[in-house]
Amino acid sequence: MASAAVIEMKGLSKEYGSGSSKTVALDNLNLNVNRGEIFGYLGPNGAGKTTTIRMLLDLIRPSAGSATIFGMDIRNDSVEIHRRIGFLPGELSLWDGRTGNQIITYVASIRGDTKGIVKHADELAERLDLDTTKRVRDLSSGNKRKLGLVIAMMHSPELLILDEPTGGLDPLVQQTFHEMMGEYRAKGRTVFLSSHVLSEVQAICDRVGILRDGELKAVESVEKITNVEFNWVDVTFRDAIPEGLPQQLDSMPSITDVSTNGTRVRMRMIGDFDPLLRAISGGYVEMLQVEEPSLEEIFLAFYSGDEEKRQ
Amino acid sequence: MNGIIVANTLRTSWKQILYWGLGLGALGLYIDFIAASPDIISGYAELFESFPPALLQAFGASDVALLTRSEGWIVSVFVSEAAIFLSVFAVMAGLNITANDERSGVMDVILSLPISRSAYVVERWIGYALNGLAIVVLCALITVLGMVAMNIDAPLDVIFKSILDLYPSMLLVMTVTCLLGTVLRRRAMAIGFSVAFVIVSYIFNALGAAASGTIADLMEDLSYFSYLNGEAFVLGTYDPADSIIVLVAVLIGFALSLKMFASRDIGI
Repeated sequence: MASAAVIEMKGLSKEYGSGSSKTVALDNLNLNVNRGEIFGYLGPNGAGKTTTIRMLLDLIRPSAGSATIFGMDIRNDSVEIHRRIGFLPGELSLWDGRTGNQIITYVASIRGDTKGIVKHADELAERLDLDTTKRVRDLSSGNKRKLGLVIAMMHSPELLILDEPTGGLDPLVQQTFHEMMGEYRAKGRTVFLSSHVLSEVQAICDRVGILRDGELKAVESVEKITNVEFNWVDVTFRDAIPEGLPQQLDSMPSITDVSTNGTRVRMRMIGDFDPLLRAISGGYVEMLQVEEPSLEEIFLAFYSGDEEKRQ
Repeated sequence: MNGIIVANTLRTSWKQILYWGLGLGALGLYIDFIAASPDIISGYAELFESFPPALLQAFGASDVALLTRSEGWIVSVFVSEAAIFLSVFAVMAGLNITANDERSGVMDVILSLPISRSAYVVERWIGYALNGLAIVVLCALITVLGMVAMNIDAPLDVIFKSILDLYPSMLLVMTVTCLLGTVLRRRAMAIGFSVAFVIVSYIFNALGAAASGTIADLMEDLSYFSYLNGEAFVLGTYDPADSIIVLVAVLIGFALSLKMFASRDIGI
């Protein structure tokens, strides 16, 4: 992987309003995204992910700081930058009365290579199982998202900027999307994607940046973030919770926050499942559910010493 | 800038051109029909004689004697009514240049493509300016052909020029709406202020005629309706300066629109 930065943000800030109504959407963001990597931009809703992306696209202007893409200023060289990138907005709006094919042709003609781009768009649409003959107003939200992905990728851009790319996509298409991202990386291209879904970031990203309340809290490899991962586990017994089980679970180093409700035990678990399975084997387990932590929980765990506990 | 957005704007709005052109053409035919009947015209003229100047101006005429002539009738009545309808079109077109796309979110997709904000606004503006020109020409042709078909004895070139003279004013309203869309950011506010601009202009024009030699003269000068030259074409007193003033205002408004749109956040 080449180390040259494709995206460089230096002290990027964005404020809205003034005086007492001033809101800081992004505060002093310093971040590099390297060529050939898939960078996940993680954060809860309202953290500033979309604000960052919209600034990179020159849709909104920074209150302070600067950024470059391919070494070019995002504002002064926006047209040349846009020639080399593909973008999928978080809230995609397209021309409702036009078909996918009409939109693809229109966008391709603005990009200046209608024939080659449309051919590649057809291949992408086929791969994503998208019917481009339908009008946008007749497409489901998932299919609109697919059309957005086709538009973003059809000119084989050097850099893809994707805002919550898989929202509304069914699991099979998500899998296809993950494969496509892997192929992008293999070709040495770069992807900058925002998400609040940890599993998606884990599946495809090399590095992640965690954003919270407009501040970049960490930039780590996916492996490191994964190390602090825990799960919420719910065990429901058919008859009753075996006597002494809550206390037993509480004493296990990999389990915390044990609570009971009727025949159900809920706990926060780090690491392997085997100790838990052995502990609950004394009762008849009707259901066992594992729930992925929210991003906020991951974030808090990452900074509250859980990493040490796991090690 | 390669004309793709101009072409796309025209391709997606040809129905609009047809409907508006035919609609205004139908209005022209109706006025032709009345102009073909001297008895009806003279009846209207007698009625207008009792009107105060402001009310007469509101009907598009400043001289009752002019209304007794076929060309005077067509020009005064049609031009004043068509000017109002074209103002409605111009407000809609002005909103389509940026405000509607920004509100719907389509602008995010467009501006992520290799086209500058300025180039986009220029192409959209040209697209809708051509759109408006096609509507004006279509309705002028229908009106003039109607005159031929109804054997109306009036100079066709005067009528044609009078209708084409609506175009600079239409461009002005479209550009003012575009400017308001780029300054105010809120589509609803842009609509409100644009409609107010049209209504206030109309009132200023009518009141200005009623109180000549007073401050109302200035009010009339501020109204784009007062720069319509229909009567001047009939009387042979057309002064190109009137059209030039409107076109200069269009250029200033357009330049301001470009500056505002290029310098602000989009979709906020």
